[in-house]
Amino acid sequence: MKKLLALLLCMMLIVPSALALADDQVTITLWTYPIGSWVDDTTVKGFIDSFNAVHPEIKVNVQYLDYSSGDDQVTGAIEAKTTPDIIFEGPERLVANWGAAGKMLDISDLWADTKDDIVAASPAVEAACKNAEGIYYEYPLCMTTHTMVINKQYFEKADALQYIDEETHTWTTENFIKACKALQAAGYIPGVIYCGGQGGDQGTRALVTNLYSGKFTNADHTAYTMDSAENIQALTQLQTMVNEGSLTADPGIVAGDEIALFCNGTIAMGFCWNASAAVSNKASMQETVTPFPMAFPSDDGVPELQGGIWGFGLFDNGDEARANAAKTFVKWVCDDANQAVPSVYATGFFPTRASLGDIYTGTEKEDNAAFSLFMPYLGDYYQVTGNWAVQRTEWWNLLQRIFSGGNVEAEVATYVTNSNSGI
Amino acid sequence: MTVKAPSLAVSKAQKAQRRRENIAGYIFMAPSLLFFLGFVIFPMGMCLVTSFFNYTMTDFSFIGFQNYAELIHDSIFVNKALINTLIIVVLSVPVTCIFSLWVASLIYKMREVHTSFFRCVFYLPVVTGSVAVTVVWKWIFNNYYGILNYLLKNLGLITMNQNWLGSANTALGCIIMILLTTSVGQPIVLYVSALSNVDGSLVEAASVDGATNLQVFWKIKWPQIMPTTLYILVITTINSFQCFALIQLLTSGGPNNSTQTIMYYIYYNAFKLNRYGYGSAMGIILAIIIGIFSAVQFRLARTDNG
Repeated sequence: MKKLLALLLCMMLIVPSALALADDQVTITLWTYPIGSWVDDTTVKGFIDSFNAVHPEIKVNVQYLDYSSGDDQVTGAIEAKTTPDIIFEGPERLVANWGAAGKMLDISDLWADTKDDIVAASPAVEAACKNAEGIYYEYPLCMTTHTMVINKQYFEKADALQYIDEETHTWTTENFIKACKALQAAGYIPGVIYCGGQGGDQGTRALVTNLYSGKFTNADHTAYTMDSAENIQALTQLQTMVNEGSLTADPGIVAGDEIALFCNGTIAMGFCWNASAAVSNKASMQETVTPFPMAFPSDDGVPELQGGIWGFGLFDNGDEARANAAKTFVKWVCDDANQAVPSVYATGFFPTRASLGDIYTGTEKEDNAAFSLFMPYLGDYYQVTGNWAVQRTEWWNLLQRIFSGGNVEAEVATYVTNSNSGI
Repeated sequence: MTVKAPSLAVSKAQKAQRRRENIAGYIFMAPSLLFFLGFVIFPMGMCLVTSFFNYTMTDFSFIGFQNYAELIHDSIFVNKALINTLIIVVLSVPVTCIFSLWVASLIYKMREVHTSFFRCVFYLPVVTGSVAVTVVWKWIFNNYYGILNYLLKNLGLITMNQNWLGSANTALGCIIMILLTTSVGQPIVLYVSALSNVDGSLVEAASVDGATNLQVFWKIKWPQIMPTTLYILVITTINSFQCFALIQLLTSGGPNNSTQTIMYYIYYNAFKLNRYGYGSAMGIILAIIIGIFSAVQFRLARTDNG
């Protein structure tokens, strides 16, 4: 009897407290792809602790995704109706994929007081974060341009430095071809066009479209245009180089493998590089490798680089309280006077607010500041084109077919038909 | 009446006892039965239902047998995924069985400690995570610094590096080889156990009667290990049909769909293209094929045994 009484008393103490806590605190979930240090638990938990210092009423749970299985996890969550409240990624997923499928919340209200600042940094960012009807599905945090990288030591030994403009980090298609031949003649593996999967496909896309100034999609982002004369010429050129051995095509690897090959000195150039990659691969770089970021080669020497824009989107979970809490968190991460810079700094990329200016000079990541010279080459953000997920799977299959001897025009026709069907 | 009364009472008591035992049996079965119903039967039913729908991230409309009709005309499914899957099954199942039986027949007569050692060695790839095994194999087959190319070049068997997983000519063979290493562990353990349980007096009698080793094997041992063989055949066949992790981690079905299998193509359609209904239709076809294969194996094994 005494035990029962004691239990009842305990229950009377605990239950009201628990209920009161449940009433006051909203729990939200954040899923983040590996964007710079946003995959590092200490960093992200540090941000959440800082957030909770000012917003103790919102509890944030975090889960880290990777690019090899993250999309599958999100797809599974969408079908099981267990999506997170917030997800950190780019417009190709937030706007063109999940937003277009009606799974995301309209977050136009977050833009009200920051739109001018974001447009001042890059009008392309604002355009990429909304759909054709002007509904915003992404609130951007950072941006970058994807580049390629060369090993300066190998280029020097192969007497190929003459083919690059070291000041502007650019080169022409003609010089790129000459450099590859010089590297081959010197006994190096010049570069590997990876096509084992979709990982890092922004690199191979940029390589193809820049060679002869082709466009990946039309201006309206309503059709894929790989069948243009410029792109056919580029793919044919690459096929020729692979056949001659001045480039290698490998359907057995993806970008991550290619970066590893570059860092360990196996190959002389990599097609998947950016400011964040430069930082994260610094420790694994062999002594024989001196990375030197380069724009993709183009016939006129003026590259059009592919952009990366990362920000937050909110899944529509039908819970207003959680949605409001999620917006509070996102707004704090991106715009709080004390937090905005650390949030961007952790990514290793550049702020999407002009007001934040240069955040790297004089810091441990000073090397990143050098990548800002590529920002003027930021090209069209075509990743918001419909059927993007289908196009991505078609792309590496196209490269596999071409580099195993397929007819370029016929294979491109198949790719374009499959990618454009259903847009 | 006086004679029948006790037997009636016994019968009632027996029935009550049997009922109690049955109830107890069902209660003990209930957890796993619920698990089986919830995680096997229900998803199978859902798979069958969704195979008749155009089920994507934005649509869920009934289309009857259209997914199945599309499958017949899907050249990648018919010419690549289905053919490759059958090649994997036809090659890996017999090789797994024969190799396992051969190894087991060599080691089951050894001293206990030696038998255990070999059982552990062959079972190691089974208990090691498939991802870890695959990563090691990926390194072995690496085009640029893989140990296989290094060894073959030093032995003078090849003159330049081969892209084992990147070539349509070799990728499927590599997948089958890795599959074999992860498949033989359990059959070896089972065969060692089965061979140890063969009636020694029959073997001895046959030997005394002048039977050769081959005759002893075929006439005495083989019939007695037939149930184990049947089990191994069925399990290995199902595992081979469901080969997925190796493909996903090593080749993603490439190059040029040369390692595409039904399981990977299901995943590709469902998770990459978000065509859940179409993927479900493939799953149903795969289940039917596996069912047919298993039925044939049961039939053949029963005939042989009889």
